[in-house]
Amino acid sequence: MKKRIVIVGGGIGGTMTANNMVSKLGVEIRRNQVEVMLISNSPWHYYKPAFMYVAFDMYHKAELRRKQATLLRPEVRFVVDEVEAFEFSASRLHTRSGAHYDYDYLVVSTGCLPAPERIEGLAEAGDHFYQFEPARRLAQKLRTIERGRIFITVTFPKTPDVPHQCGIAPIETTLMVDELLRRRGVRDRVEILYTYPTVSQLLRNCLFMQKQTCEVLPQIFSDRDIHFKRGFTLERVDPDARVAHSTEGDSEDFDILMSTPPIRAVDAVINSGVSEAAEDEGWLPTNRRSLQLKGHPNVYCMGDTVDLPISKAGGSCHNQSPVIIDNIAFDLRQGATPAVYDGRVQAIAQMGLEAGMPLWYDYDQDVQPTPPTKVGGLMRKTFNRGVYWATARGLV
Amino acid sequence: MLTATKPQDAAAVLADPDTAEGLRDLAEHLTPLLQGRRLHNVVDLLSATSDFIDMADDQLTQKLAKAFEEVVWAGWSAGNALRSASATAADSEPPTLWQLSRQLNDPEVRRGLFFIIQLLGAVGRQVALEAEIPEDD
Ligand SMILES: Cc1cc2nc3c(=O)[nH]c(=O)nc-3n(C[C@H](O)[C@H](O)[C@H](O)COP(=O)(O)OP(=O)(O)OC[C@H]3O[C@@H](n4cnc5c(N)ncnc54)[C@H](O)[C@@H]3O)c2cc1C
Repeated sequence: MKKRIVIVGGGIGGTMTANNMVSKLGVEIRRNQVEVMLISNSPWHYYKPAFMYVAFDMYHKAELRRKQATLLRPEVRFVVDEVEAFEFSASRLHTRSGAHYDYDYLVVSTGCLPAPERIEGLAEAGDHFYQFEPARRLAQKLRTIERGRIFITVTFPKTPDVPHQCGIAPIETTLMVDELLRRRGVRDRVEILYTYPTVSQLLRNCLFMQKQTCEVLPQIFSDRDIHFKRGFTLERVDPDARVAHSTEGDSEDFDILMSTPPIRAVDAVINSGVSEAAEDEGWLPTNRRSLQLKGHPNVYCMGDTVDLPISKAGGSCHNQSPVIIDNIAFDLRQGATPAVYDGRVQAIAQMGLEAGMPLWYDYDQDVQPTPPTKVGGLMRKTFNRGVYWATARGLV
Repeated sequence: MLTATKPQDAAAVLADPDTAEGLRDLAEHLTPLLQGRRLHNVVDLLSATSDFIDMADDQLTQKLAKAFEEVVWAGWSAGNALRSASATAADSEPPTLWQLSRQLNDPEVRRGLFFIIQLLGAVGRQVALEAEIPEDD
């Protein structure tokens, strides 16, 4: 009987997995023994990291998205529909259009959503750059601020040892704000205050979620006259007074509150009922080595929706995807799942508007910070504008 | 000239007049790059190359190698077909229309035509994907 592999989510994780899956299983697909299906709720594919650049007027919408169908190899059966319910124990899922699909293997790569509404006052008074429209609103403010204070907060998920989306983004954008204001000639009239919560995954009282990077940050910030403060966990925001309050009992006023807001899994994943995450955040309980959903060996999880202590980043998907493909291909052909994810993530951090810093780490080894360079910046620009799409197509 | 095969310490290497002369030459050659801080870019490029080597892993190599093989396969197959077709066409008298239509009796010619039609179909499907612009979401 023909086996069906369903991949849910046409973001970076799902797209590269669909393309590389049909390539890996080329023979079985030609013999009509296997079908690979991608279900996504949007006909568009967004290059999400570019939302960050939208906040700095560096990207147009047409440049940061492609039609999903044009990114897929023709062997992938692409369906635009929204999964509303996962029935993991019956190996079946239901979609908004009323259809249901049975599968032999499932890959869930539905990402995560910013949830500023989870902190009182944040949705009204705060800004962020994790989606297109909010990033555009932030751009409008950054373009026009003449004096005052830009206050930066970072919120971690309540589930222990789960990071927020793209760990380095708050630092990247803080440095970009500094440079933008210098270019605009208003930096001496605008204070930038970067704060970090008391608990960041396993660390306490740091400025970043990894120790080595945390240690070099004070110097980087001081060199640019960026003020910083540890131990500020955003509890609530008073939109009228424009004051942010922390659970540690501190208060800070602001003209712009640039936040990394709370995040959560998408509704269908939360409602599947298998998550053990705190506060209904919905992260899928994932085997950190095989990437199988705990208790459901024919389901694999990747990207932002997992409960692993690893960065919620495209660089994680890039390393998780081959493990999942290998395990499914091995299981189909030999009944074994030998491939193992070692927690590896690669990225090129955007350090200010022009410089870049390549970085990589895994479960055992933290990032070793190196000096940001223009060459690194050029690499990042090349990735943003071209290599990303080759990665989605499964070529890199 | 440095000809000794046994290891020498750094001071001894630098004391060699030929080495010192070579280094002096090199420093002079590098002066514009050093003074203009342009050598920094070269060092950064080296450092980025080293980063890339550290970041590259087995899966990346596999994907790049596969992409390379696919490109080579496409070029190789097209090259073989071109070479053989052009040799036959060049070495024969131009066929009459009747001779040409009789070529269709050859199943491989029909397979080739079928291939071209399939290729056009695949191109058409890809063009159709480009044609429609979905609504904004
Ligand atoms: C501002 C910003 C900067 C970033 N910078 C970096 C960076 O520099 N480097 C880096 O590596 N990463 C970065 N990231 C993170 C990176 O974008 C994400 O980690 C990555 O997109 C996660 O991939 P994913 O496949 O898990 O989810 P996504 O890419 O979010 O894709 C999820 C997909 O699932 C679809 N979907 C959701 N629910 C359903 C449903 N119920 N049914 C069907 N389809 C559904 C969505 O439409 C979407 O297409 C950044 C992210 C942001 C927002």
